[in-house]
Amino acid sequence: MAPVEGAMSTASRPLLSVFNNIGRQVDNVITTARDLSSLRSENRRLQAIVDTLTIDNARLTELQTENQQLRELNRFRQLNPFYDFRGGQLIARVISRGPTNYLSAITIDLGTDQGIAAGMPVVTERGLVGRIQKVGPTTSTVLLITDPSSGVQAMIKRENSRAVGIVTGQAGASPVMEYIAQEADVTPGDEVITSGLGGNFPKNLIIGQVTEVIKQDFDMYQRAVVRPTVDFNRLEFVLVITNFEPLPGQPAELESVG
Amino acid sequence: MSTRSWRDRDIYLALAGLVIAVLVQATLLTRIRFFGAQPDLLLVLVVCWSLLHGAGEGLLWAFAGGLVFDAVAGLPLGTSPLALMPLCFLASIGQTSVYANNIWLPVFFVAMATPIHGWIILFIRQVQGVPINWLDANLKVILPALVLNILLTVVVAHVLRRATGSTQLAPMG
Repeated sequence: MAPVEGAMSTASRPLLSVFNNIGRQVDNVITTARDLSSLRSENRRLQAIVDTLTIDNARLTELQTENQQLRELNRFRQLNPFYDFRGGQLIARVISRGPTNYLSAITIDLGTDQGIAAGMPVVTERGLVGRIQKVGPTTSTVLLITDPSSGVQAMIKRENSRAVGIVTGQAGASPVMEYIAQEADVTPGDEVITSGLGGNFPKNLIIGQVTEVIKQDFDMYQRAVVRPTVDFNRLEFVLVITNFEPLPGQPAELESVG
Repeated sequence: MSTRSWRDRDIYLALAGLVIAVLVQATLLTRIRFFGAQPDLLLVLVVCWSLLHGAGEGLLWAFAGGLVFDAVAGLPLGTSPLALMPLCFLASIGQTSVYANNIWLPVFFVAMATPIHGWIILFIRQVQGVPINWLDANLKVILPALVLNILLTVVVAHVLRRATGSTQLAPMG
C-alpha cells in the first residue's frame, strides 16, 4: 500500500497546497472582518494621538521661535554697549500692528501698570523701533520711526563722517535722513545711529543703513534714504527702555520734525 | 414685538458688529498687505451701510465706529469720524439708484470714498504739523489700499445684504 499512498500523496500535494492557500485567504478575510471594528477604533485612537502630537509639535516649534527671540532680546539687553540703560528694559509683546494706513504704529501689551510712560524709546536687538506715543493701563501705542510724524536726531556712524541729520518717516516709503550739511560725507552703505541730540532718544541706537544719497547743488542740505534694520512687519517682541528720561520740554507726542 | 424693539435690536447688533469690525481690523486685517497697504474694513462697512440704510444711520456708525477706531489705532481722537462722515452722504446718493441691488454700486462708491477718506486724514495730519508727501501718499498708500478695499467690498456688501435682509423686519428710518 505504501507505493499507492505515496502516489496519492504526490498527486494530492498541489491540490492540498491550493486549497490550503484558499483556506488561508478565507481565514484572513474572516480575521480582517472580525478585526475591522477594533481596527477602526485603533485607527481613531492613533489618529487622535497624531493630532495631539501635531498640535504639540506646532506649539513647541512656536515656543522655540519665541524662546529664540526672547534669548536674542536678552542677549541684547545684557551685551549692548548702552550700559546706562542696562536693567531698565522691559520686554513687551506686540499685540497689534497699526490698523490704519495713515499712522505707522504698533500696540504693545505693557502700560502704566508696568511703569511705561509716554516718550520712552522702544528697540529690538536689531535697532530702534520708535517711542511710546500713548499709554493706557495695560497697553501702549508705539509710534514707529517710519511714520511721517516721527523725527529722530541721527548721525552717520562712520568715524571720518559723523554727519548729523533728522530721520523722518515717509508715507509708504523708506525713512529719509534730512538736513544733512551739503559738505558732509555720506555714502550708500553708511550705518545710521541715533545722535542723542535733542534728548528724545539715547545715543548710539542703530536706525538703519543709507541706501541712496540725494544731493543737489541748489539745495541747502542733502538727504539720504535709510533702510531700517528692523523689519517692522515681523515685530513680535520689543524692548522698552524705561530708565531713559527725555529732556524736559520734549513733546510727549511728536507732531513735527522741526 | 413692536417696531421700536426691533429697531433697538438692530442698533445693538450693529454696534456690536462695529466693535468686532474694529477688532478684526486691528488684529487680522493688519496681516493682509498689498504694497505695504492694508484694507480698511470700517470704511467699507460705513459706505455699504449708508448705501443700504441711508446717510442717517451711516453717520451714526461712522461716528461711533470712528471713535472706537481712533482709540484703538492711536490716531488723534476724532480724526476717523471726520474722515468717515462725509462718505455717508456720498454713499447715500446711491441708495435711491436703480442699480441699488447691483454689486458694482458699493464697489463704485468705495472706490470713490477711499481716496477722499485718505485725503481728509492726511490733510488733518498736515494741519497738525506732520509733513506729508502727497504724491507718495497717493501712489504708495491710497492706491494699494483702494485695490484691497474694492476686493473687501465684494465680500462685505454681500454679507451685509444677507444679514440686514434677515434681521430687518421693520422699515429703518
